[in-house]
Amino acid sequence: MIAYTKQPIKRRLGPVISFGLAALGMIYLSYSLPRLLPGDFVTAMYSSSHVTLTAEQEAELRAYYTEEPGFGSYLLKLARLDWGYSYAFLTPVSELFFSALPWTLLLLGTANILSMLIGFVTGVEAAWRRESPFEKGMVGGMTILEGIPEISTGIILLVVFAFHLQWFPAAGADTAYAEASISARLATIGHHLVLPLVTLVLAYFPGNFLLTRNSMMMVIKAPFINTAKAKGLPARRIRYAHAARNALLPLVTRFGLRLAFMITGALVVEKIYSYPGLGMLLINAIQARDLPVIQAVVLFSSLIVLTIILLLEFVYRIIDPRIEHAH
Amino acid sequence: MHIDFHQRVFLDPWFITGFFLAVLFAFATILGPPLAPFDPWDMSFVPISPPSATHVLGINDGGQDIFSELFYAIRNTVTFGLACGLISLFIGAILGVIAGWMGGIVDMILMRVADILLAIPAIMILILTASLFRPSPWVLALILAGMMWPTISKAIRAQTLTLKESLHVKAAAQIGASNWYIIRRHLMPEMFPLYLIGFAAKARMAMFMEASLAFLGLFDPSRKSLGMMIAFAVKYYYMDIWWNWLLPPIICLSLLIMAVTFLAISLEKVLDPRLKEALGS
Repeated sequence: MIAYTKQPIKRRLGPVISFGLAALGMIYLSYSLPRLLPGDFVTAMYSSSHVTLTAEQEAELRAYYTEEPGFGSYLLKLARLDWGYSYAFLTPVSELFFSALPWTLLLLGTANILSMLIGFVTGVEAAWRRESPFEKGMVGGMTILEGIPEISTGIILLVVFAFHLQWFPAAGADTAYAEASISARLATIGHHLVLPLVTLVLAYFPGNFLLTRNSMMMVIKAPFINTAKAKGLPARRIRYAHAARNALLPLVTRFGLRLAFMITGALVVEKIYSYPGLGMLLINAIQARDLPVIQAVVLFSSLIVLTIILLLEFVYRIIDPRIEHAH
Repeated sequence: MHIDFHQRVFLDPWFITGFFLAVLFAFATILGPPLAPFDPWDMSFVPISPPSATHVLGINDGGQDIFSELFYAIRNTVTFGLACGLISLFIGAILGVIAGWMGGIVDMILMRVADILLAIPAIMILILTASLFRPSPWVLALILAGMMWPTISKAIRAQTLTLKESLHVKAAAQIGASNWYIIRRHLMPEMFPLYLIGFAAKARMAMFMEASLAFLGLFDPSRKSLGMMIAFAVKYYYMDIWWNWLLPPIICLSLLIMAVTFLAISLEKVLDPRLKEALGS
């Protein structure tokens, strides 16, 4: 009895530990890698600037910047949102980060929810109508779409709908300095969101469709579907309440594996449409060699990703009770 | 895992299309330098001139021949993807078999490391190292391969666990064969289909990553790449160059990723036993 109650707790802690280690690993990398750089900050910053330093000033600056904070105080600073100042903007890095974060969350969140919903429903319907023209056409079309990277779709949509037809704005997320009512502002934000959103949905949803359809194909053959049919349940109820619920699992498990693709694609899309999210912040920082910003964006976006995957781990346990009782 | 896979796979139209495209790109990769009409770094032509008989796709903003650039760009993207796929397959296969065969603490440690690597977004590590140290593409390929092996090794570990219970492996162990002998002679050769699936998936991901990193400007600008060509061409969109400068690298990149995607999807469909049974055909 004791063993039975103890085990689930231990199993629940497993993913937390490995994600904690992954987070620590990321933080340590972002702490140690810049310290491996050749040269030092003072030479890098002032050798090419117009300011000429006296020997005294240089020595003082060097003493200030070579002060070794140690990993412990680095962690404390991170937790206090004291991430240093951007070399290029001279503003606190945390300020830049938190002003870009909402845009990325808006774009990626909507793109993921939309592509999940569309991919899931079309996948379930296609698997149910197997060998029909609808299924064959969808599978063919989605396989081709899966082979087109975001760079290509993004540029083509940009050239056609923003440059040529001029239906949608080509850059930004909002009209600057426009004093408009809330509803008008929401409309412009939506207008700016369309092209990047469509690009991302076109990139994400074929994968969701193919995954759902394949796992539906396996589920449909299971005996319990025949039982449900024999009971005379309505077709839609069998499809969604019985079959699709089980086909949902791979969609959630593979989400973590596909995140690497998704984030890369999101960076590219933000650059194509100059969307002012974290990706754009990162790309501008790379071009300006703005190290504190690069460090912060890389570290904290990875930590956000880690948290999302960890949360999915628990969602997975809820939608698949078998895991709790496995082994 | 014994499947008459040569017959089955060559009947799949997706595989045939992907294979045909892959052969085309292989030709462009291997024969690129002799086929390219000009040196792609030669900047002696008139910048931004439209296509002519000598310069099939015209000249870019730096006075370089776009058609020749294309060959070298394909070559770089393809070799990056193949190298990365091979290295991660190598690491993943060896660690997967070891974890599955040894079991116990070795298995636990290896799989924990795999879980940690799976959770970290590879692109962020690549961006961090690329922007800090500006390493050569080979170093980046190595780092990417070092982050991509876990999915391969998980699949191979699972297969090793089932093979471990099969009679011929048990017999070999009873005869007194060493661990290394069983792994080399009995386990590794049996998992050939898994290698193909893993390699195709990883090569696809690596090519996609290479194009994206180049598009974001994280590689040495003198290194030709499809992503970098697109990034430069977009800047000159107003010069009406879209069909001779912007479109060719976009088409090449899409066809390349499509080729690998078709191969990956079709191999998975034919070789994954569970999927094969469900899809029938």
